[in-house]
Amino acid sequence: MARKLQKIGDDGPLVRPDAVEAQIDAALTLTPQPLRARLAITDPRDADHLRSETLVHLVRHGRRTGDQGLISLALPVLLARCEANLIVKVPDGQLPEAATVREDILGEFSELFASDGTGKNPDELDFYECKFNRAFRFFRIDVVRRETGRLKHVAQMPEPDEDGEPEPHDEVFARVSEAFRSPAMQDGDVFRSELHDAILELPPDERNAVILVHVLGYQEESDDPGEETAATRCDCTGRTIRNRLTRAATKLVRFKEDL
Amino acid sequence: MTPTLTARPPELREALYALSIAKDIPDAALLDDVVRRFPQFGGELTNFAIAIAIDALHGDAVVEAAEAALDPNVLSPAVSRAMSRFQNRLHAVSEPTRLPAATDRSVSADAINPFASLSREDFRGFARRLDASSVFVAKLRDRQIEPDTLTPGFRKRVADDLHAPLDVVVAHFSAAQGGATGPQFYKADGKPNNGGRQTFEEAVRSSGLSEAQQCALLAL
Repeated sequence: MARKLQKIGDDGPLVRPDAVEAQIDAALTLTPQPLRARLAITDPRDADHLRSETLVHLVRHGRRTGDQGLISLALPVLLARCEANLIVKVPDGQLPEAATVREDILGEFSELFASDGTGKNPDELDFYECKFNRAFRFFRIDVVRRETGRLKHVAQMPEPDEDGEPEPHDEVFARVSEAFRSPAMQDGDVFRSELHDAILELPPDERNAVILVHVLGYQEESDDPGEETAATRCDCTGRTIRNRLTRAATKLVRFKEDL
Repeated sequence: MTPTLTARPPELREALYALSIAKDIPDAALLDDVVRRFPQFGGELTNFAIAIAIDALHGDAVVEAAEAALDPNVLSPAVSRAMSRFQNRLHAVSEPTRLPAATDRSVSADAINPFASLSREDFRGFARRLDASSVFVAKLRDRQIEPDTLTPGFRKRVADDLHAPLDVVVAHFSAAQGGATGPQFYKADGKPNNGGRQTFEEAVRSSGLSEAQQCALLAL
């Protein structure tokens, strides 16, 4: 029987999805040989494939019970999946020392298991037993952003003071929003890859305005002082947001025909 | 709107997890909700929501394909080193009161690893001070260099820089390689030779260092 999670979320203690709970219960009964066979299955569509959430539980169970054998079986498999994730998400060329950053992330993540149940975040791994990929996404992005912040100390240029009301660019941003709403269906999705790079190349203020308004769905501004908008999130005026969107649109205009 | 460069307080970490866990791509309602719960981190949460949204543009199809293509019989060097870090941390957590002692000259794998307690920043800082690459320092950490080929001057330099007793550093380099790893790292039916150690010069030459850096290290 899987141990209950301790982390308290907004609606009470975190709860694993039913499918994860059931798989953990079954996995805990496996002897080493069948467990090894299950761990060797890499195709997630295979009914016997063990989910990463389950592997996290197995490693933690091994850690709590002093079962080094269980840790030795499950943790390398989990880390190998993480490494595959990192090679895709932190590719060479994205950062000057991408390989080192990937290794740092992998090493830091492995240490979470050693520190499980101790320190200021004793139940941090509970998140990984609920939604592994999304939890690991936080871990990865957090380290990458720290690294990016260390490398980039770009001086903010003063924004041009544009007169008049900015032009709307509904067509461009309709394409951008659509790309974010529809999931990538194949490995070589060139359009999304190019759009991703183009958005990253935007100045931060323009990038933030585009994402807040056209992906997260914020209004540019509001007459209601209690309503959060892109302007309040960026601590600027609605007109500034529109100016940033206009400048971004001119850089993204080529994508309106490509989708 | 710049990333935090220091270690995050636990509450912020909690808030960022909450933001990342809830949906594939956060929306305004989710961000507003998390900011209401953690109002002190509004700016950081906003930046992180934007980063998640951009990250999600690629979708998970590529990652799933990469995971499915893994060879379960192959353990990469990066995973092996991560396992080593796990075991080192586990050792540190399990025996927090154990102090480095000059008697730790054992060649077993249990010798104290003076690199184990270094944070990521400390690790990088050590590499910078040594004017070496992270790859080279990882070799020192993971005992991948033949201990007898390390020059006395180099050993002393490492000990001084780590603020560790020279005996502890020497014992670390001399200890069995991959001591933290268990039998799961056997890639074949037989026992691995646990070898593959490089000489000091080989390690220096194959760590992406400039000619000047190589000369400086070898001259120590």
